[in-house]
Amino acid sequence: MTQTKTERSVTINPGMLCQPIGAMQAVLGVHAAIPLVHGSQGCAAYPMRMFNRHFAEPVEIALSSLGEDAAVFGGADNLVKGVHALTSRRHPELIAVITTCLSETIGDDIDGILRKIDLPVALVPMHTPSYVGSHVTGYDNAVKALVSQLAEQTGPTDKINITVGLLNPGDIRELKSMLEVMRVKANILTDISETLDAPLRLPRPSFPTGGTTLKEIADTANSLGSIALCKHAGGGAVTYLANKHKVPMILGATPIGVANTDALLENVSQLVGRPVPEQLRRDRGRLIDAMIDVQFKVVSKKVAIFADPDVASGMARFVHELGMEPSIVATGTASKEFVKDVQAIASQTGHEIEILQGCDLYGLHEAVKAAGVDLLMANTHGSIADDEKIAFARIGFPVYDRVGYQRRTIIGFNGGINLVDLIANSILEHGDAS
Amino acid sequence: MPLTLLECDIPIPEREKHTYIKKSGECIIPMCNVQTTPGDLTERGCTFAGCMGVVGGPVKDVIHLVHGPIGCAYYTWGGGRRQNLSDNPEFHRKYCFSTNMQEANIIFGGEQKLHKAILEAYERFPDVNGVFVYATCVIGLIGDDINNVCKQASKEIGVPVIPFSCEGFRGVSQSLGHHIANDVIFERIIGTKEPDEVTPYDINIIGEYNIQGDLWVIAPLFEAMGLRILCTFTGNSSIDDLAMAHRAKLNVMHCQRSTPYICQLMEEKYELPYMPVSLFGVDQTSKALRDVASFFGLEEQAEMVIESEVAKILPQMEYYKEKLKGKRVFIYQGAPRAWHWIKLMDELGMQVIGAATTFGHTDDYEKIVERIGDGALVIDNPNSLELKEILVKYKPDLFISGLKEKFLAHKHGVPFVNGHAYENGPYAAYSGFVNFARDMDMTINHPAWKLIEGRT
Repeated sequence: MTQTKTERSVTINPGMLCQPIGAMQAVLGVHAAIPLVHGSQGCAAYPMRMFNRHFAEPVEIALSSLGEDAAVFGGADNLVKGVHALTSRRHPELIAVITTCLSETIGDDIDGILRKIDLPVALVPMHTPSYVGSHVTGYDNAVKALVSQLAEQTGPTDKINITVGLLNPGDIRELKSMLEVMRVKANILTDISETLDAPLRLPRPSFPTGGTTLKEIADTANSLGSIALCKHAGGGAVTYLANKHKVPMILGATPIGVANTDALLENVSQLVGRPVPEQLRRDRGRLIDAMIDVQFKVVSKKVAIFADPDVASGMARFVHELGMEPSIVATGTASKEFVKDVQAIASQTGHEIEILQGCDLYGLHEAVKAAGVDLLMANTHGSIADDEKIAFARIGFPVYDRVGYQRRTIIGFNGGINLVDLIANSILEHGDAS
Repeated sequence: MPLTLLECDIPIPEREKHTYIKKSGECIIPMCNVQTTPGDLTERGCTFAGCMGVVGGPVKDVIHLVHGPIGCAYYTWGGGRRQNLSDNPEFHRKYCFSTNMQEANIIFGGEQKLHKAILEAYERFPDVNGVFVYATCVIGLIGDDINNVCKQASKEIGVPVIPFSCEGFRGVSQSLGHHIANDVIFERIIGTKEPDEVTPYDINIIGEYNIQGDLWVIAPLFEAMGLRILCTFTGNSSIDDLAMAHRAKLNVMHCQRSTPYICQLMEEKYELPYMPVSLFGVDQTSKALRDVASFFGLEEQAEMVIESEVAKILPQMEYYKEKLKGKRVFIYQGAPRAWHWIKLMDELGMQVIGAATTFGHTDDYEKIVERIGDGALVIDNPNSLELKEILVKYKPDLFISGLKEKFLAHKHGVPFVNGHAYENGPYAAYSGFVNFARDMDMTINHPAWKLIEGRT
């Protein structure tokens, strides 16, 4: 078992994006909220285009439009003007001000600037310099900023908090459906299931229906407990709530596959004091049935998994459950925690796993060549699969060269069934083609 | 009617200067090419996007190394499978290079990292013929001397290493990025090599980026007339093509916003004249071929090409004219396509009810205002609230814009064609015109629009 972190100065085919886009995704899951990026023109335009591609949805991202003057004299004027223009024209409930490499290097005191603004809108500063961390840490910082600014103790409730991390609308719908079956009320941070997968009906509402409300965010301080589905993206908020408001916390694992979903349901069950109901046991049985049925099509195949840290480690455990071999488990975000998670899977399952953290796809390609795998699971940029003539199942972010990934869940028992189909069909199609 | 203020703009009245309803006899040009109002939900991109994404990026045989934190490189990776096509897809747009600047590099400077990154990238891809280095925002702030690093690295690896200081915060839009790329390519590349042979019929096609293969339907037309294309700036071009471009006899300029700079510079230094053309639609394409032909005395050849090309598409065009006649269209493009396409829509019998550009200058708006019909809206740098208001109030039959606006149109029940990256292009010249008309017809007459609840 090896761990490699890219030691090159040049990054070739990156495995991560920068912090601001992660923060933007978190804010887009809040009802009537608009991210206001404190940066130059591209800092909003490029992430918008990335969201458009992946989610096939319009997104509203505002910008303070920093130019040469701001680079010299500071961006305070632009930020104040921007908040006012956005509030008066759009009437959002929340404006999250997201910093960039530009505004952080200029050194604008955005917390101080925002404190002086008196408008009927919640203003939350989010520090996400692009030269630190990745989109994953940006998301984590954003959710933590939301709860640290807005959560308020007002008396205990019978709800639980769930931070979902960088998952998709389909995943959150599956999560909500599981919770509904268990009759569990939850504050979901943040809920993009409607805001980034809105129905086409006219007239279009001013803001998409759905999304986490500010009241729900405020109420997170009063819950029975908090669960982070992705500890790297949402774990910070859950930890904050535990430290500050004594809300018991559970970090991960992402409920991909049988054992991880069992663990989530067990955790929820314990927090609320109710058993896992029959319907979920039936879904579980359907997943196991699907896994057994495809066994000869997938068993012993060697898999390279590339995704954000928690999805990658969750997927590693699931391909093990399918009788496959997780030969390489890789993530673009640097994380020792990720290495520990995958090491634990390796020692529990007996697989030899090569672990790559903070890697780019060029590094992953070298590892794939050396290990000789049968299936690559990665985002749209997984051209490695073509080059190496191996099967390719698209997962993660972004996926835009095939349609529908964002709508289908990969979590829970139903997500497991989708993944069984995706993995087996990728292998079958590859076999047919070659 | 004069300048006008849309309802959504009441809190930001400065937008009135950018918004004009055309009236014949007036001489009003909306304000343009100025800073965006902060917080107005602009659709604009940055100087880096204009420099790397538009002009530099299509060069097919160099490493495009983005010097800065990771995001800017990632966002320009690939550019979609079908954009900026080249005949080198095994390398070009498949690989994305970045110095991935970290906090320590910001504090202590990124010159060393950049230097190492250039050498490492070249070591892994030794078949390339150059390295383009693009500085993003933070590089300008910390003051890395990228010129010096590139000079040193070039000496070491033996191929040109070209620095572009295209920090995103410079300028007001993509437009300055085009200009920077023009200047740098002119100063450092054009004229640095000589072609093996020159002919009296050599041209360059300037401002053509081979979106979905536009170039590959344009080039055969000129070649059939007996011309040779020495260089395309910059679709499917190699760095050597650019280096030898000064030996052409004429620069044929298509995109007239991103490339007048280099045309003027080449005219001054090499006495190489340039000719602006439109290569969209039958009439404009035919005019372009005739204009270029008359420069070279190839009038007869041009007429033969035009006759045979027009004959090929005539039956299809008649069909689409019938289907598209009278449809009302709103066009929002980077800049020149907004006015190139007003004439194209005229040919189809469609009505342009509004035109907008992201980064147009005065000369772009002069052409738009001259060409567009009375009562049409002309708006500069429209933001998403303005676009929404236009879609809802004007109810166009078709909106032509880019990916960022596509899903906004869909969510308001308005048929949409991507005019930046195209749907099923190419859209240029004769055969491309058929594709364009077909795509417009397909979306306008798509059965699913009628199924939308509440659509009136």
